[in-house]
Amino acid sequence: EELSVVGSWSSLPLYKQYEMPFWTETLSEVSGGDLTATMTTHDQMGIAGGDVFRMLSQGVFDVGMTVGDYAVADSAALEGLDVPLIATDAATAQKAVEAARPMVDDIYKDVFNAKVLAIAPYPPQVVFCNGEVSNLEGLKGKKVRASGRMTAKFLEALGAEGVNIGFGEVPGALQRGVVDCAVTGAGSGYNAGWWEVSSHLITLPLGGWDPVVTAINLDKWNSLSDAQKSTLESAIKEKFEAPAWQSAQGALANDIACLTGTGECTYGDAHDMTLVAANDEDLAKAKEVLISEVLPEWAERAGPEWAKRWNDSVGKVTGVELTLN
Amino acid sequence: MIPFTAFGLLGLLALSIPVGIVLFLLAFGIDFFFSPFPLMRGLGQVVWSSSNSATLIAIPLFVLLGEILVRSGVASRTYTALDKWVSWLPGGLIHANIATSTMFSATSGSSVATAATVATVAMPQARALGYNEKLFSGAIAAGGTLGIIIPPSINLIVYGFLTESSIPQLFLAGLLPGLLMALLFMIFTVILCVLWPSLGGPRRPSAWRERFVGLLDLIPIFGLFAAIVGSIYAGWATPTEAAAIGVGIALAIAVQQRAFSLDMLSKALRGAVRTSAMIMLVVIGAYVLNFVLTAAGVSRALQDLLNGLGLGPLATLLVIVLMYIVLGFFIETLSLMVATIPIVVPIIVHLGYDKIWFGILMIILVEMALITPPVGLNLYVVQSARGRAPFKDVMLGCIPYAFAMLLMVGLLILAPQLALFLPSSL
Amino acid sequence: MLMVCVLYTLVEILTRQLGGSLGGVDEISGYVMAITSSWGVSYALTERAHVRIDLVRERLVSKGRALLDAIAIMSLAATALVVAWRGWSVVAKTLSTGARANTPLETPLWIPQLLWWSGWLWFAISAVLLVVYVMLKLFVSDEDAIEEAVGMGGSE
Ligand code: NA
Ligand code: NA
Repeated sequence: EELSVVGSWSSLPLYKQYEMPFWTETLSEVSGGDLTATMTTHDQMGIAGGDVFRMLSQGVFDVGMTVGDYAVADSAALEGLDVPLIATDAATAQKAVEAARPMVDDIYKDVFNAKVLAIAPYPPQVVFCNGEVSNLEGLKGKKVRASGRMTAKFLEALGAEGVNIGFGEVPGALQRGVVDCAVTGAGSGYNAGWWEVSSHLITLPLGGWDPVVTAINLDKWNSLSDAQKSTLESAIKEKFEAPAWQSAQGALANDIACLTGTGECTYGDAHDMTLVAANDEDLAKAKEVLISEVLPEWAERAGPEWAKRWNDSVGKVTGVELTLN
Repeated sequence: MIPFTAFGLLGLLALSIPVGIVLFLLAFGIDFFFSPFPLMRGLGQVVWSSSNSATLIAIPLFVLLGEILVRSGVASRTYTALDKWVSWLPGGLIHANIATSTMFSATSGSSVATAATVATVAMPQARALGYNEKLFSGAIAAGGTLGIIIPPSINLIVYGFLTESSIPQLFLAGLLPGLLMALLFMIFTVILCVLWPSLGGPRRPSAWRERFVGLLDLIPIFGLFAAIVGSIYAGWATPTEAAAIGVGIALAIAVQQRAFSLDMLSKALRGAVRTSAMIMLVVIGAYVLNFVLTAAGVSRALQDLLNGLGLGPLATLLVIVLMYIVLGFFIETLSLMVATIPIVVPIIVHLGYDKIWFGILMIILVEMALITPPVGLNLYVVQSARGRAPFKDVMLGCIPYAFAMLLMVGLLILAPQLALFLPSSL
Repeated sequence: MLMVCVLYTLVEILTRQLGGSLGGVDEISGYVMAITSSWGVSYALTERAHVRIDLVRERLVSKGRALLDAIAIMSLAATALVVAWRGWSVVAKTLSTGARANTPLETPLWIPQLLWWSGWLWFAISAVLLVVYVMLKLFVSDEDAIEEAVGMGGSE
């Protein structure tokens, strides 16, 4: 059985180190050649991230993977998969994602006619600023480029002005002061040379972890034999999801080392951005904003039923509770 | 699959089916016969997402800017002023085409808009003065391509986006090669017109006094350049927003020149919508075709081919250049870039070449694609300003300038500093 | 067509008035671009502005030209119909999920998508009407009328 697979960003490590090897080599090995895949990525196909799961639901391809946040246009409830700041380390982020999994499963089934196979993280979304920033309070009044709706709303709640510009326009915008700060994965920022045009790095995951959802079209899934289903499910869990999570924490430390020059950079030249460590008071205040403003707004967008499910799952493992009214 | 694509393209184009539609039909065909995916199910999504683009809105904005400048007489006064400075050369007005294109390139982010603007102003002059239209219109189409190498440039923004490199640096890198290429165009024109005077038209010497008085007419366009590029560098606007600022200033200029009226605005708007819709149909068709080609595995086949050749860095580079020239005949610029960057740039970087430098090299190659038939947008833009005259004139007229571009490619490979000097010194 | 122009002017004013100061300009520009394109293609069709390669066509007698024009408009109509048909699935999906833009504006996407889709629908309708017209004229061998309706366009 040959599956047509569309991967996430082709230039990022998740695809190069985990997605591509898994689908093009590992899968065929563990299934003894019974399951194989032809693989491309959404950026190589020239389709927008937000279209990946829409096309998956139409059966254009069999398996698709992209950042869950890209798909929140079709389901506000899905925003609950990636709430900023509730997980500051990989282990907690993984717990939150695992807790959210049943919700995500249901959303994908209903909205995209798809079955979720795995959820793996991108490195956490941190903040690059051009100009002095010493804490989260310092973001007030600044123009910040955010990707994803909840991050933008969160920044607005913190008193920053959310600016919506494309990834490629960011370096120029930072340099010319069109924006003061921008949120992206530490590794992507490193690779895209954002250190050239920004001076301070806030390493809190203000943009969340951008979990990448891998899903298979439900009709395709149902057409597989039980043996194929279980091979695929266990293989993707053990050989893709688990290692991707395992490397997430280390990757962040390394990315930060490469950007700030504090510690050893294993993949390139280290640079000298100033590391801004948020203090506990700061963090507490930001969490307060999150809980009192951002999450209730989300609960309104998504509906009380989803808010309750979120409370009982993600909320429970991260110790965050949103008040339902 | 590759022969099917090539012959299908040529056959359908020969039937004089609209180019944008040909790209759609070809995509349908490849999907039906070769694709492992039922791609057409996603057609609507691809069409929506490719046209729902804030970057692309720079196209109608720059076309509109040009329309307003033309209708307010600025374009023709610029043309006249430059005419006085350059048309004493063998080739006469043709140099004014190139010089005006260069000036407009500095206010325009798109080659098509540049060509459209200059064509509208210049073609009537060619008729009135009895120029041979071949080289004349070729110079406009080719001169227009400077629009994407001299900043601001939509294509460089796209390149910067896809390769994650700095856009202001790319802009700086394009400046010198762009000016040099304009110079090459003029040199080629002089050589051709000295050898075969019938290719040009009358030389037009002017008095120095006239020339300096004419400089006054260049103020608006210099002002526009300062506003557009200045607002980008001063941090007031993104490149796309700078286009909107340009339109605003062009309108102000029109008002100041007492050329503004609602009728004029409505005509300019209609012209802009017509031209950009024509472009958009081709761009959307190209996106759809690109989507199908990639999904059907053509891109991968190409990468395997390049890796399998086992050539040295320079030889691989030359193969890539050759590939761009060939693909450039058939594929629209933006989609040529979009389709090849993810495959080619990693190979180039791996070979040890500079990303910014290659961006400029690629821009020159896609500039060539703009003037090579059958898919060469600038040819059509110039043709649409000419009315019912034979299309092959424009095509033939572009040939010498395509060679000038090849020469520029060679120069850039021999002397990468042409592109890298400015960005590294600032 | 006029509607496109009005929309167009609106975005002009909007972008200029708001400058870079307000997020969402990009988002709205994107919608305007999509809508302008889809409605603009019909306008370009009636203006005969769509680029066609005339290398073969210009060598033919008027009968042959009329035939090529008929083929061209039929392929165009067929494509427009397919795009309008597949485009509807985009709007339908949006309506079924109640999709809102993934931005702080949270634009309900059915609004821009419906406007965009109706442009393609109109394109398909105009193209089909032109096909019918051309068929009738082909039947009575009125090549001039065909040239006038769907021949090679020129400038203004
Ligand atoms: Na330019
Ligand atoms: Na070409």
